[in-house]
Amino acid sequence: MTGAGSRRALAVWVVAILACAVIIAKSEFTADMSAFLPRTPTPVQQILVQQLRDGVVSRLILVAIEGAAPEVLAQTSKRFSAELRQQPDAFVAVNNGEDVALSKDREFLFRNRYLLSPAVTTGRFTGAALRISLEEDLQLLGSPAGALLGKILPRDPTGEMLQLIAQFEGVARPETRDGVWFARDGSRALLVVQTRAAGYDIDAQERALTSMRTAFAVANETAGSGPALLVSGPGVFAVQSRARIKADAMRFSLIATALVAALLLALYRSPRVLVLSLLPVASGALAGIAAVSLGFGSVHGITLGFGVTLIGEAVDYAIYLFTQITPDTAPANSLARIWPTLRLGLLTSICGFGAMLLSGFPGLAQLGLFSIAGLVAAVLVTRFVLPALLPLKFAVHAATGLARGVTSIVDSARVLRYPVIVATLAALFFLGSQRNTLWTDELASLTPIAVSERALDEALRRDISAPDVRHLVVVSADSEDAALAGSEKIAARLQTSVEQGHLGGFESAAVYLPSAATQRARQAAIPEPAVLRDSLRDAQRGLPFRPGLFEPFFSEIDAARTQAPLTRASLDGTALALKVDSLLVKRTGTDSAAGAWTAMLPLRGVTDAVAIARAIQSLPDSAGVLVDLKQESDALYQTYRREVITYSLLGAVAILLLLLVSLRSVRRVLVVMAPLAAAVIVTFCLLVLGGNPLSIFHLVGLLLVVAVGSNYALFFERQAADLAERERTLASLVFANLATLIGFGLLAFSKVPLLHALGSTVGIGAFLSLVFSAVLITQPLALKAKPV
Amino acid sequence: MRHALWALILTTSAVFAAEPPAWGINELMQELAQIKSAKGRFVERKTMAMLNAPLESSGTLVYTAPGRIEKNTRLPKPETLVLDQNKLSIEFKDRGQRRTLALPDYPVIWAFVESIRSTLAGDLATLNRFYRTSLTGNEAQWRLSLQPVDAKIQTVVKEIHIGGSRSNVRTIEIIETEGDRSLMTITEDPP
Repeated sequence: MTGAGSRRALAVWVVAILACAVIIAKSEFTADMSAFLPRTPTPVQQILVQQLRDGVVSRLILVAIEGAAPEVLAQTSKRFSAELRQQPDAFVAVNNGEDVALSKDREFLFRNRYLLSPAVTTGRFTGAALRISLEEDLQLLGSPAGALLGKILPRDPTGEMLQLIAQFEGVARPETRDGVWFARDGSRALLVVQTRAAGYDIDAQERALTSMRTAFAVANETAGSGPALLVSGPGVFAVQSRARIKADAMRFSLIATALVAALLLALYRSPRVLVLSLLPVASGALAGIAAVSLGFGSVHGITLGFGVTLIGEAVDYAIYLFTQITPDTAPANSLARIWPTLRLGLLTSICGFGAMLLSGFPGLAQLGLFSIAGLVAAVLVTRFVLPALLPLKFAVHAATGLARGVTSIVDSARVLRYPVIVATLAALFFLGSQRNTLWTDELASLTPIAVSERALDEALRRDISAPDVRHLVVVSADSEDAALAGSEKIAARLQTSVEQGHLGGFESAAVYLPSAATQRARQAAIPEPAVLRDSLRDAQRGLPFRPGLFEPFFSEIDAARTQAPLTRASLDGTALALKVDSLLVKRTGTDSAAGAWTAMLPLRGVTDAVAIARAIQSLPDSAGVLVDLKQESDALYQTYRREVITYSLLGAVAILLLLLVSLRSVRRVLVVMAPLAAAVIVTFCLLVLGGNPLSIFHLVGLLLVVAVGSNYALFFERQAADLAERERTLASLVFANLATLIGFGLLAFSKVPLLHALGSTVGIGAFLSLVFSAVLITQPLALKAKPV
Repeated sequence: MRHALWALILTTSAVFAAEPPAWGINELMQELAQIKSAKGRFVERKTMAMLNAPLESSGTLVYTAPGRIEKNTRLPKPETLVLDQNKLSIEFKDRGQRRTLALPDYPVIWAFVESIRSTLAGDLATLNRFYRTSLTGNEAQWRLSLQPVDAKIQTVVKEIHIGGSRSNVRTIEIIETEGDRSLMTITEDPP
């Protein structure tokens, strides 16, 4: 390289680094959990993912207070809720089963009973119909349930309020003790809190959680070992995951850097070489983050965590370079010697990470792009910048004694040939015998949420009697009102299915907010005041009601007849608003469906889903469709596993082709691939033996084993010019492998399931790749180095 | 001397043993708790401000320990009411209507029905959760008065008087805060 060329390379590098720094400074960092849900193909799935991001569901925090006697828990629940209700900016709704929360709902229902009651139809207020209502009232007054009617009878003789309440009976609710919600066994007081902030707004969620903890400390009067606060929900998960990812990324980066630095110092005993070795790593990390930021608009926290692996991988290139440099050759010349192998290794790595880039998971694709950009940058820096920074007579004093030791171990490794072959075959046989239980089928395996947190969430959901929604009818429409009208049509048909015994019941937003047409029809069913008075007078004849008792009824029903129809805003301040918002959503986003409305009708106690689906389909111009969420998510997972398998195979094929083209010999490709295949099989087997069923992420990890491990196999296969070069090569391989092992191995300790899966798979696999390459690849010492 | 002491101890304890135990709410509740099942006929008369004539109904009552009550009204209209654990179901036979109420959701109704059920079951603990109790009369003719503890229930129920003889409940009188009242008279079938 000429002096001018060096200067140009340096200048380009400095500019590029600055550009990356600017991009990164402007980047948005997220921890959005839905990034690790696959990109969703069907509209229904899109709705569900949207709900997870910013729907009401994403804003709910489930709270349990436990660890004290029930009376103490109930008192704490009341005080805690009162504290939270004083922060309406942070918490939209606080429901602990107390009447405070429910009285607003009852008030809303009562005030609007004539617009909400499905019984208000033409003929409801004729003399004959009123007579029946009044007789029923008398009977009810005589029973203990008369207290239900009690004082409201003069305002509601036709019992519309009772109609409304009856609709909500049968809906599962938590048990009430001492006036607040409790788990069935009395061990936990329960609350449901809705935050104002959306679930994906993690900063706001974090603030809300902090406010909650403070409020709890205030409410919790018992000092020391009093009741404890448990929280769960999408926002909580997001906050916890981000904190965990942050901690992991920080900790592992520091540890990895320290370990790799120690390794380099041990190897070269020169701080200067250490700094030079870390240059490609740092450049690669910057380039990776900048590329992700440009490509995805934001950088996911997990991507930063994954950056740890880059430390271990990118440093390899510098290690190869420095270890290969001899005192009597210029750096550029020794680079030229190993460059083809280095380049091929890089390309195979790109094939592996490229498969991640193409996978349907935005999160996984980020990791792929990050690694590709990072590795390319690291290699370019090694190739063009490092030589420019090295003095002409540069030589490192690699621990030669160590190199000799390694060489003698490698030379005797051949005796393990047959044990390795036998072990690989045994592993293959074992995997074959277990092939039906190797993979998990749960979509949940993809979440970055820890197992213990998921278990708590499930327990709280059970306690709070939130039914596992499996079946729901989804209605799509152009406007809110059309979605409500569609829901009403579906609801009428579902009611018939309930009577047929196909399901136990269902919920619908239109119950609390009927469509405008329905509200108008109900208003039209109310007679003029004079007519109504006549009818009631007839109906009352002979019954013992005090004269003038129903005056409040006349004025209130006439107000209802002429009132403005209810809108979503009428529900503000009630818990019903929360319900409506979770069942009736506007589609956000930028696709063609944005702005459309979706109403969801969750079904409970479904006994014949096929019959229900048919009933809904048979409706004329029905906009509804029955969705089985379990089936849907299972199918989704299957689709993505297939897709990832396909991409992984494509990645493997691409690596094979690349090797074939570069090595120009089937035999040499086989020689390189044999140890890699053995490493993949044995790694796979070890992971299965380690317990848990494997997820898509382990599969991706196996591909990375091939991509990363191929570097070692290639260098092994490459014929050395002399004994000294061979020793240097082997030493550089061992150290490069150690560095990679540090990077991925550390990730295996991460509590983020994705990072753990990738880290453990690649850590084991990369190590085995090196060992198996040493064992399986015979490296005859050629007199002359053949070009690769 | 030693003999005299023993004699003294023996006679004093004999004196105490001879005195009949004081009869009170605990004894009444214990006695009621012995009853495993009972049947009877009832007549109920309700006077309400909203009505210018009292409502009268009659039918049968079946009690099964510890907490199930079935009230079958025959007149004026057939109606079945079943109280079991914390569920109250009411069936209006001629209309084919049935509703089930979870009592914790309806504290006032719960307080009403618990006054009767806990008394029949001799469950003083539950009774005390809802009411302050006071007992007058004697074993042969007693009157248990209940006053609601909870402020919200006080706005509806003023007092409940349950009258009876030994382990038989004879009358239940409910006086509501705003003046409405009902009186149920029970005639127990011989077991």
